[in-house]
Amino acid sequence: MSKESLPYVIVFTFIVAFAFVFVIAFADGVTAERVAQNQKLVATRAFLNAVGYLEDEPSEELAKFAAEFGEVDDESIIRTKVGGRDILIKRFSGQALWGTVSGVIAVDESVSEIIGFEIISQNETPGLGGRIEESWFTQQFRGETIPPEGIIVAKGEGKPDYDTDNGSIDGITGASLTSARIEKIVNSEISQLRKETAR
Amino acid sequence: MNGETPAAILKSNLWTNNPIFIQILGICSTLAITNNLVNTLIMTLAVVFVTGLSNTTVSVLKSLIPRKVRMIVQTLIIAFYVILVDIVIRAFLPEISKALGPYVGLIITNCIIMGRAEAFAQLNPPIMALWDGLTSGAGYMAVLVVIAIIRELLGAGSLLGYQILGAGFTTWTIMVMPPSAFFLLGTLIWVAKTIMIRKEST
Repeated sequence: MSKESLPYVIVFTFIVAFAFVFVIAFADGVTAERVAQNQKLVATRAFLNAVGYLEDEPSEELAKFAAEFGEVDDESIIRTKVGGRDILIKRFSGQALWGTVSGVIAVDESVSEIIGFEIISQNETPGLGGRIEESWFTQQFRGETIPPEGIIVAKGEGKPDYDTDNGSIDGITGASLTSARIEKIVNSEISQLRKETAR
Repeated sequence: MNGETPAAILKSNLWTNNPIFIQILGICSTLAITNNLVNTLIMTLAVVFVTGLSNTTVSVLKSLIPRKVRMIVQTLIIAFYVILVDIVIRAFLPEISKALGPYVGLIITNCIIMGRAEAFAQLNPPIMALWDGLTSGAGYMAVLVVIAIIRELLGAGSLLGYQILGAGFTTWTIMVMPPSAFFLLGTLIWVAKTIMIRKEST
Protein backbone atom coordinates (compact mmCIF):
# COMPACT_ATOMS: atom_id res chain seq x y z
CA MET A 1 0.00 0.00 0.00
CA SER A 2 1.32 3.45 -0.83
CA LYS A 3 2.30 5.60 2.15
CA GLU A 4 0.25 8.50 0.77
CA SER A 5 -2.91 6.54 0.02
CA LEU A 6 -6.04 7.41 1.97
CA PRO A 7 -6.50 4.03 3.71
CA TYR A 8 -2.87 4.05 4.87
CA VAL A 9 -3.16 7.60 6.25
CA ILE A 10 -6.34 6.75 8.13
CA VAL A 11 -5.04 3.48 9.55
CA PHE A 12 -1.66 4.95 10.45
CA THR A 13 -3.15 7.99 12.19
CA PHE A 14 -5.59 5.80 14.06
CA ILE A 15 -2.90 3.41 15.31
CA VAL A 16 -0.53 6.20 16.34
CA ALA A 17 -3.28 8.12 18.17
CA PHE A 18 -4.52 4.96 19.86
CA ALA A 19 -1.07 3.88 21.04
CA PHE A 20 -0.12 7.25 22.51
CA VAL A 21 -3.48 7.90 24.13
CA PHE A 22 -3.42 4.42 25.61
CA VAL A 23 -0.08 5.05 27.34
CA ILE A 24 -1.29 8.40 28.68
CA ALA A 25 -4.53 6.93 29.98
CA PHE A 26 -2.49 4.23 31.69
CA ALA A 27 -0.08 6.72 33.29
CA ASP A 28 -3.00 8.85 34.43
CA GLY A 29 -4.76 5.87 35.94
CA VAL A 30 -1.66 4.77 37.81
CA THR A 31 -1.05 8.19 39.35
CA ALA A 32 -4.69 9.23 39.91
CA GLU A 33 -4.77 8.11 43.52
CA ARG A 34 -1.51 9.85 44.30
CA VAL A 35 -2.71 13.10 42.76
CA ALA A 36 -5.96 12.95 44.74
CA GLN A 37 -3.95 12.27 47.89
CA ASN A 38 -1.73 15.28 47.14
CA GLN A 39 -4.74 17.53 46.77
CA LYS A 40 -6.26 16.27 49.97
CA LEU A 41 -2.98 16.83 51.76
CA VAL A 42 -2.83 20.45 50.61
CA ALA A 43 -6.30 21.10 52.07
CA THR A 44 -5.43 19.18 55.23
CA ARG A 45 -2.29 21.22 55.78
CA ALA A 46 -4.20 24.44 55.29
CA PHE A 47 -6.71 23.44 58.00
CA LEU A 48 -4.02 22.36 60.46
CA ASN A 49 -1.89 25.42 59.73
CA ALA A 50 -4.84 27.72 60.23
CA VAL A 51 -5.31 26.52 63.79
CA GLY A 52 -1.57 26.46 64.42
CA TYR A 53 -0.49 22.87 64.53
CA LEU A 54 1.44 20.92 62.02
CA GLU A 55 2.68 17.36 62.01
CA ASP A 56 5.81 16.10 60.32
CA GLU A 57 4.41 13.04 58.60
CA PRO A 58 1.68 13.29 55.96
CA SER A 59 -0.05 10.24 57.44
CA GLU A 60 -0.12 11.86 60.90
CA GLU A 61 -1.51 15.02 59.36
CA LEU A 62 -4.33 13.14 57.70
CA ALA A 63 -5.14 11.31 60.95
CA LYS A 64 -5.12 14.50 63.00
CA PHE A 65 -7.26 16.26 60.44
CA ALA A 66 -9.83 13.46 60.40
CA ALA A 67 -9.92 13.45 64.21
CA GLU A 68 -10.34 17.24 64.51
CA PHE A 69 -12.52 18.15 61.58
CA GLY A 70 -13.91 14.92 60.15
CA GLU A 71 -14.65 14.95 56.47
CA VAL A 72 -14.67 18.44 55.01
CA ASP A 73 -15.77 18.67 51.42
CA ASP A 74 -17.85 21.81 51.32
CA GLU A 75 -17.76 25.30 52.78
CA SER A 76 -19.81 24.61 55.88
CA ILE A 77 -18.76 26.14 59.18
CA ILE A 78 -17.13 23.72 61.59
CA ARG A 79 -17.06 24.29 65.33
CA THR A 80 -14.21 22.69 67.15
CA LYS A 81 -11.99 23.12 70.19
CA VAL A 82 -8.32 23.88 69.81
CA GLY A 83 -6.16 24.22 72.91
CA GLY A 84 -9.26 24.55 75.10
CA ARG A 85 -10.63 27.34 72.96
CA ASP A 86 -13.83 27.18 70.90
CA ILE A 87 -13.21 28.14 67.32
CA LEU A 88 -15.04 28.34 64.05
CA ILE A 89 -13.25 27.16 60.97
CA LYS A 90 -14.45 27.31 57.41
CA ARG A 91 -13.23 26.61 53.94
CA PHE A 92 -13.80 29.52 51.56
CA SER A 93 -13.48 30.43 47.92
CA GLY A 94 -13.84 33.69 46.10
CA GLN A 95 -12.90 35.54 42.95
CA ALA A 96 -9.53 37.25 42.98
CA LEU A 97 -7.90 38.96 40.03
CA TRP A 98 -7.28 36.04 37.64
CA GLY A 99 -9.28 33.21 39.10
CA THR A 100 -10.76 31.57 42.12
CA VAL A 101 -8.87 31.66 45.38
CA SER A 102 -9.72 29.02 47.92
CA GLY A 103 -8.47 28.62 51.44
CA VAL A 104 -9.31 28.22 55.10
CA ILE A 105 -10.17 30.81 57.72
CA ALA A 106 -10.41 30.19 61.45
CA VAL A 107 -11.89 32.69 63.93
CA ASP A 108 -12.71 32.64 67.63
CA GLU A 109 -16.19 31.90 68.91
CA SER A 110 -17.35 35.51 68.96
CA VAL A 111 -15.79 36.34 65.57
CA SER A 112 -13.67 39.08 67.13
CA GLU A 113 -10.29 37.65 66.28
CA ILE A 114 -8.84 35.77 63.32
CA ILE A 115 -7.05 32.66 64.48
CA GLY A 116 -5.62 31.60 61.19
CA PHE A 117 -5.79 32.12 57.45
CA GLU A 118 -4.34 29.84 54.80
CA ILE A 119 -4.56 29.60 51.02
CA ILE A 120 -5.27 26.22 49.40
CA SER A 121 -5.23 27.19 45.76
CA GLN A 122 -4.90 30.35 43.71
CA ASN A 123 -4.11 31.42 40.16
CA GLU A 124 -2.71 34.90 40.75
CA THR A 125 0.36 36.28 38.96
CA PRO A 126 3.37 34.18 40.00
CA GLY A 127 5.73 36.31 42.09
CA LEU A 128 3.16 39.08 42.61
CA GLY A 129 -0.41 38.25 43.58
CA GLY A 130 0.73 34.65 43.85
CA ARG A 131 2.58 35.62 47.02
CA ILE A 132 -0.71 35.59 48.98
CA GLU A 133 0.04 31.96 49.78
CA GLU A 134 3.44 32.73 51.30
CA SER A 135 3.62 32.54 55.07
CA TRP A 136 4.76 36.15 55.63
CA PHE A 137 1.43 37.20 54.13
CA THR A 138 -0.89 34.67 55.76
CA GLN A 139 0.85 35.03 59.16
CA GLN A 140 -0.28 38.65 59.29
CA PHE A 141 -3.84 37.48 59.84
CA ARG A 142 -2.91 35.40 62.87
CA GLY A 143 -4.41 36.89 66.06
CA GLU A 144 -5.67 39.97 64.21
CA THR A 145 -8.54 41.70 66.02
CA ILE A 146 -11.52 42.11 63.73
CA PRO A 147 -12.95 45.64 63.84
CA PRO A 148 -16.75 45.95 63.43
CA GLU A 149 -16.37 47.14 59.82
CA GLY A 150 -14.02 44.31 58.90
CA ILE A 151 -10.29 44.09 58.32
CA ILE A 152 -8.29 46.22 55.93
CA VAL A 153 -5.66 44.98 53.50
CA ALA A 154 -3.64 48.16 53.14
CA LYS A 155 -1.64 49.26 50.09
CA GLY A 156 1.66 47.41 50.16
CA GLU A 157 4.26 49.07 52.40
CA GLY A 158 6.90 46.53 51.48
CA LYS A 159 6.94 44.95 54.93
CA PRO A 160 4.42 42.80 56.81
CA ASP A 161 2.16 44.34 59.44
CA TYR A 162 2.21 42.04 62.46
CA ASP A 163 0.39 44.52 64.75
CA THR A 164 -2.62 42.43 65.78
CA ASP A 165 -4.69 45.30 67.21
CA ASN A 166 -5.05 47.62 64.23
CA GLY A 167 -7.35 45.39 62.18
CA SER A 168 -5.10 45.99 59.21
CA ILE A 169 -2.64 43.84 57.32
CA ASP A 170 -0.16 44.86 54.66
CA GLY A 171 -1.05 44.06 51.08
CA ILE A 172 1.38 43.04 48.35
CA THR A 173 3.34 45.72 46.52
CA GLY A 174 2.65 45.41 42.82
CA ALA A 175 -0.48 43.35 43.41
CA SER A 176 -2.99 45.94 44.63
CA LEU A 177 -5.91 44.29 42.87
CA THR A 178 -5.25 40.84 44.31
CA SER A 179 -4.78 42.42 47.76
CA ALA A 180 -8.08 44.29 47.42
CA ARG A 181 -9.91 41.10 46.44
CA ILE A 182 -8.46 39.26 49.42
CA GLU A 183 -9.81 42.00 51.68
CA LYS A 184 -13.22 41.57 50.09
CA ILE A 185 -13.16 37.77 50.38
CA VAL A 186 -12.05 37.82 54.02
CA ASN A 187 -14.67 40.38 55.00
CA SER A 188 -17.43 38.48 53.26
CA GLU A 189 -16.38 35.35 55.16
CA ILE A 190 -16.35 37.32 58.41
CA SER A 191 -19.88 38.57 57.84
CA GLN A 192 -21.04 35.03 57.07
CA LEU A 193 -19.42 33.73 60.24
CA ARG A 194 -21.02 36.58 62.22
CA LYS A 195 -24.45 35.69 60.87
CA GLU A 196 -23.87 32.11 61.87
CA THR A 197 -22.92 33.00 65.45
CA ALA A 198 -25.77 35.52 65.80
CA ARG A 199 -28.28 32.77 65.22
CA MET B 1 21.82 19.09 7.79
CA ASN B 2 22.85 15.50 7.03
CA GLY B 3 26.24 14.33 8.19
CA GLU B 4 26.83 16.93 10.88
CA THR B 5 29.11 15.93 13.72
CA PRO B 6 27.76 15.84 17.29
CA ALA B 7 30.20 18.60 18.28
CA ALA B 8 28.97 20.84 15.47
CA ILE B 9 25.34 20.24 16.51
CA LEU B 10 26.20 21.09 20.11
CA LYS B 11 27.92 24.33 19.16
CA SER B 12 25.12 25.29 16.80
CA ASN B 13 22.31 24.66 19.31
CA LEU B 14 24.04 26.25 22.28
CA TRP B 15 25.59 29.23 20.56
CA THR B 16 25.65 30.01 16.81
CA ASN B 17 22.02 29.00 16.27
CA ASN B 18 20.69 29.21 19.84
CA PRO B 19 16.90 28.79 19.81
CA ILE B 20 16.30 31.81 22.05
CA PHE B 21 18.71 34.52 21.09
CA ILE B 22 19.24 33.70 17.43
CA GLN B 23 15.99 32.06 16.36
CA ILE B 24 13.92 33.99 18.95
CA LEU B 25 11.69 30.99 19.63
CA GLY B 26 9.97 30.03 22.87
CA ILE B 27 9.71 33.62 24.08
CA CYS B 28 6.32 33.18 25.79
CA SER B 29 7.71 30.84 28.42
CA THR B 30 10.89 32.90 28.71
CA LEU B 31 8.79 35.83 29.89
CA ALA B 32 6.42 33.84 32.04
CA ILE B 33 8.42 31.46 34.19
CA THR B 34 11.82 33.04 34.69
CA ASN B 35 10.99 34.99 37.86
CA ASN B 36 11.92 32.03 40.01
CA LEU B 37 14.95 29.78 39.48
CA VAL B 38 13.42 26.51 40.77
CA ASN B 39 10.44 26.78 38.43
CA THR B 40 12.75 27.68 35.55
CA LEU B 41 14.96 24.64 36.15
CA ILE B 42 12.03 22.22 36.32
CA MET B 43 10.35 23.77 33.30
CA THR B 44 13.50 23.80 31.17
CA LEU B 45 14.39 20.23 32.17
CA ALA B 46 10.92 19.25 31.00
CA VAL B 47 11.59 21.00 27.69
CA VAL B 48 14.97 19.23 27.30
CA PHE B 49 13.24 15.91 27.95
CA VAL B 50 10.40 16.62 25.52
CA THR B 51 12.60 17.93 22.68
CA GLY B 52 14.97 14.99 23.05
CA LEU B 53 12.34 12.27 23.08
CA SER B 54 9.93 13.80 20.58
CA ASN B 55 12.83 14.28 18.17
CA THR B 56 13.85 10.64 18.64
CA THR B 57 10.30 9.38 18.15
CA VAL B 58 9.74 11.49 15.03
CA SER B 59 13.04 10.20 13.66
CA VAL B 60 12.14 6.56 14.39
CA LEU B 61 8.72 6.90 12.76
CA LYS B 62 9.85 9.15 9.89
CA SER B 63 9.69 6.48 7.19
CA LEU B 64 6.17 5.46 8.27
CA ILE B 65 4.60 8.92 8.59
CA PRO B 66 2.61 10.00 5.51
CA ARG B 67 3.67 13.49 4.40
CA LYS B 68 0.23 15.05 4.51
CA VAL B 69 -0.36 14.23 8.19
CA ARG B 70 3.21 14.67 9.39
CA MET B 71 2.56 17.90 11.30
CA ILE B 72 -0.42 16.40 13.07
CA VAL B 73 1.55 13.32 14.01
CA GLN B 74 4.46 15.45 15.25
CA THR B 75 2.09 17.51 17.38
CA LEU B 76 0.60 14.31 18.77
CA ILE B 77 4.03 12.98 19.69
CA ILE B 78 5.03 16.26 21.36
CA ALA B 79 1.72 16.47 23.22
CA PHE B 80 2.18 12.89 24.37
CA TYR B 81 5.51 13.61 26.06
CA VAL B 82 4.31 16.91 27.52
CA ILE B 83 1.25 15.29 29.09
CA LEU B 84 3.45 12.53 30.52
CA VAL B 85 5.69 15.18 32.10
CA ASP B 86 2.63 16.97 33.46
CA ILE B 87 1.28 13.76 34.99
CA VAL B 88 4.63 12.94 36.62
CA ILE B 89 5.05 16.47 38.04
CA ARG B 90 1.48 16.50 39.36
CA ALA B 91 1.93 13.15 41.08
CA PHE B 92 5.44 13.54 42.48
CA LEU B 93 6.17 17.27 42.68
CA PRO B 94 2.79 18.81 43.61
CA GLU B 95 4.34 22.07 44.87
CA ILE B 96 6.13 22.69 41.58
CA SER B 97 3.04 21.69 39.64
CA LYS B 98 1.07 24.33 41.53
CA ALA B 99 3.67 26.99 40.86
CA LEU B 100 4.01 26.23 37.15
CA GLY B 101 0.25 26.06 36.67
CA PRO B 102 -0.73 25.96 33.01
CA TYR B 103 2.80 26.51 31.71
CA VAL B 104 3.72 22.82 31.61
CA GLY B 105 0.85 22.15 29.22
CA LEU B 106 2.01 25.09 27.15
CA ILE B 107 5.32 23.34 26.39
CA ILE B 108 3.34 21.73 23.55
CA THR B 109 3.21 25.09 21.82
CA ASN B 110 6.92 25.78 22.29
CA CYS B 111 8.11 26.41 18.74
CA ILE B 112 11.59 25.07 19.47
CA ILE B 113 10.25 21.51 19.76
CA MET B 114 8.16 21.60 16.61
CA GLY B 115 10.97 23.41 14.82
CA ARG B 116 13.51 20.72 15.64
CA ALA B 117 11.09 17.93 14.70
CA GLU B 118 10.47 19.54 11.30
CA ALA B 119 13.96 20.77 10.55
CA PHE B 120 16.11 17.99 11.98
CA ALA B 121 14.41 14.83 13.23
CA GLN B 122 12.66 14.17 9.93
CA LEU B 123 15.95 14.01 8.03
CA ASN B 124 18.32 12.38 10.51
CA PRO B 125 18.79 9.04 12.31
CA PRO B 126 17.34 8.62 15.85
CA ILE B 127 20.57 8.97 17.83
CA MET B 128 21.49 12.23 16.12
CA ALA B 129 17.91 13.45 16.52
CA LEU B 130 18.06 12.70 20.25
CA TRP B 131 21.33 14.61 20.55
CA ASP B 132 19.96 17.53 18.56
CA GLY B 133 16.83 17.63 20.73
CA LEU B 134 18.77 17.51 23.98
CA THR B 135 21.21 20.22 22.92
CA SER B 136 18.44 22.47 21.56
CA GLY B 137 16.69 22.11 24.90
CA ALA B 138 19.98 22.87 26.64
CA GLY B 139 20.41 26.03 24.57
CA TYR B 140 16.96 27.13 25.71
CA MET B 141 17.74 26.15 29.29
CA ALA B 142 21.03 28.06 29.41
CA VAL B 143 19.45 31.37 28.40
CA LEU B 144 16.44 30.97 30.70
CA VAL B 145 18.58 30.06 33.69
CA VAL B 146 20.72 33.19 33.24
CA ILE B 147 17.58 35.36 33.08
CA ALA B 148 16.05 33.55 36.07
CA ILE B 149 19.16 34.03 38.21
CA ILE B 150 19.13 37.78 37.59
CA ARG B 151 15.37 38.08 38.09
CA GLU B 152 15.15 36.05 41.27
CA LEU B 153 18.22 37.68 42.80
CA LEU B 154 17.04 41.23 42.19
CA GLY B 155 13.31 40.57 42.44
CA ALA B 156 13.28 38.55 45.64
CA GLY B 157 16.86 38.78 46.94
CA SER B 158 17.10 35.00 46.86
CA LEU B 159 18.34 32.11 44.74
CA LEU B 160 16.57 28.73 44.64
CA GLY B 161 14.47 30.09 47.50
CA TYR B 162 17.45 30.78 49.81
CA GLN B 163 17.79 34.38 50.90
CA ILE B 164 21.07 35.72 49.50
CA LEU B 165 20.79 39.47 49.80
CA GLY B 166 20.28 40.88 53.29
CA ALA B 167 17.00 42.00 54.82
CA GLY B 168 17.90 45.63 54.05
CA PHE B 169 17.76 44.94 50.31
CA THR B 170 14.77 46.56 48.63
CA THR B 171 13.49 44.09 46.06
CA TRP B 172 12.88 45.26 42.52
CA THR B 173 9.22 44.61 41.86
CA ILE B 174 9.80 45.11 38.13
CA MET B 175 12.04 42.01 38.13
CA VAL B 176 9.19 39.67 39.03
CA MET B 177 6.96 41.19 36.37
CA PRO B 178 7.10 40.07 32.71
CA PRO B 179 8.59 43.32 31.29
CA SER B 180 11.91 42.71 33.04
CA ALA B 181 12.31 39.48 31.07
CA PHE B 182 11.95 41.56 27.89
CA PHE B 183 14.69 43.94 29.00
CA LEU B 184 17.00 41.15 30.12
CA LEU B 185 16.41 39.08 27.01
CA GLY B 186 17.08 42.11 24.82
CA THR B 187 20.28 42.79 26.73
CA LEU B 188 21.39 39.16 26.42
CA ILE B 189 20.74 39.12 22.67
CA TRP B 190 22.72 42.33 22.38
CA VAL B 191 25.68 40.92 24.34
CA ALA B 192 25.64 37.59 22.47
CA LYS B 193 25.43 39.29 19.07
CA THR B 194 28.22 41.71 19.93
CA ILE B 195 30.51 38.82 20.88
CA MET B 196 29.60 36.94 17.71
CA ILE B 197 30.22 39.91 15.44
CA ARG B 198 33.54 40.60 17.13
CA LYS B 199 34.61 37.00 16.61
CA GLU B 200 33.61 37.11 12.97
CA SER B 201 35.55 40.26 12.24
CA THR B 202 38.77 38.95 13.75
